[in-house]
Amino acid sequence: MSRYFTNIYDTVNTLWTGMRITFRHMMNIRRDNVTLQYPEERWPRPERNIGFNHEDYNVIRSRLHVDIDDCIGCYRCERACPVDCIKIDTIKSDRGEDIPTVKHTGVTSNGTKKGFVVSRFTIDMSECCYCNLCTYPCPEECIFMVGGPNSSKHPIDYEFSEVDRKDLIYEFAKKLTPKQRENLTKTDEKAEA
Amino acid sequence: MTVDFLIDLFSKFIDIPIVAFLLAVTIAGIPLFVLMALNATIAVYVERKVSAFMMDRIGPMGQGPGLHAGKWGVLQTIADALKLLIKEDTVPASADKLLFKMAPFIIFIGAFLGIAALPFSSVLQVVDFNVGVFYIIAVASVGVIGIVMAGWASNNKWSLYGAMRSAAQIISYEIPAGLSIIVPIMMAGTMNLQSLIEFQTGSVWGILPNWIIFNNPFSFLAFFIFFISAVAETNRTPFDIPEAESELVAGWMTEYSGFRWAVFFLSEYANMFVVSGLAATAFLGGWQSPIPGFFNSPLWGLFWFLGKIIFLIFVMMWFRWTFPRLRVDQLMHVCWKVFIPIAMLNIFGVGIWKLIIG
Repeated sequence: MSRYFTNIYDTVNTLWTGMRITFRHMMNIRRDNVTLQYPEERWPRPERNIGFNHEDYNVIRSRLHVDIDDCIGCYRCERACPVDCIKIDTIKSDRGEDIPTVKHTGVTSNGTKKGFVVSRFTIDMSECCYCNLCTYPCPEECIFMVGGPNSSKHPIDYEFSEVDRKDLIYEFAKKLTPKQRENLTKTDEKAEA
Repeated sequence: MTVDFLIDLFSKFIDIPIVAFLLAVTIAGIPLFVLMALNATIAVYVERKVSAFMMDRIGPMGQGPGLHAGKWGVLQTIADALKLLIKEDTVPASADKLLFKMAPFIIFIGAFLGIAALPFSSVLQVVDFNVGVFYIIAVASVGVIGIVMAGWASNNKWSLYGAMRSAAQIISYEIPAGLSIIVPIMMAGTMNLQSLIEFQTGSVWGILPNWIIFNNPFSFLAFFIFFISAVAETNRTPFDIPEAESELVAGWMTEYSGFRWAVFFLSEYANMFVVSGLAATAFLGGWQSPIPGFFNSPLWGLFWFLGKIIFLIFVMMWFRWTFPRLRVDQLMHVCWKVFIPIAMLNIFGVGIWKLIIG
């Protein structure tokens, strides 16, 4: 008979203990929450050392970025790329001359005079193998690896997904209308002639 | 405002009594249905959130691009309901078509009838029965017919197992529930829900409200027995052996989908509402304010009554996400060997208490 009441006491006691635990978890959800709201919150990628000085090169190989105003159209990155994901087209222009109609600046931030208007600079990030080899030969240091789309919120960021694979082809050159392209090509031909 | 009042009101304008009656019943019934739907909508959302919080998750959030379920996922239930409405209406080929289609309605009626008798406030009650407690206990058992019907008509072993278990469970747990609800009836000397609440006016020892649960140790115990039995009667975890996802797929609702399943779900939450309402009425003072003598106007009464129900529903969710499911034999053990003897002793004890103390 005493066993019967001990059982009831134990049951009530243990059930109450369990209820206290779940209630505590419910109340402390702000602290204990384990879910990350994925697109808004991400796990930071761990830092790693690949043998370079982190300040000199952005070794967080998230994606390539090009400062197109500094690009002189030398094709060195395109040639260095082992998977040929960089495609560059250039149109010859007057060395060091600004062309305001296509927002072309004639001089890079290093002081180099540009001889070409870069009419196309696409990087297909779906093909890119993140080897970083294109960044070394660049004489103007205008192509480099940067963080992903969320890098303003998180210092180390990695994802950049798109719905369509075509959206992974990044265009860095300034948009030229067909007419502007034609005009530039004409002056190019004239200069060659 | 009862349905009788409405019938009297319409009888003044309409000569045909049956038309006045139907009009009054419809006008009284629509708010109840809205209440049922609202209760299910909110309770499902709260249940998802409560379960998530207890598991250290955050539940539906609905952020991000494209279609999303509002801030904090508040529109999640509406999205779920829409999904259920547009689902294909499947009836198994070998099912008993008539019973299969009838079962959701029977269960729904059982839940709906119960809500009709709840005293929402001192002036707001659809039907004020003289035997309100008895009535609610009685119509709460209508649901089990629907469950057995659904299980039998599905022509599926899981459904039949679930239905049989459900019948055994609900019939067993009605006994402790009925025996422990006798305690407040004995103390108040009435089965009328409004009189039962009026009996609980005032305060004991100056601080606690004079609710039946605080009146004596026997009624204190009776409340817990009644409430736990009520959880068992609504087929909720830890007493969800009729559904038992890990054993019986979905128990008696295995073959149901879409809108019929939604009706089952609606009824489950309505049942929770009804048993919580009965527990609040019989033990927790119904629409009486927890601070004796203050906030006792009818509108506050509605607030207190709904507040008590919401609290009890939350406790049910708390149970559900804390305790594991009982085995069938454990379930029967708890009912027949623990609850029924204690409930009987309770009746005896409260009788003695009433004789000696008053």
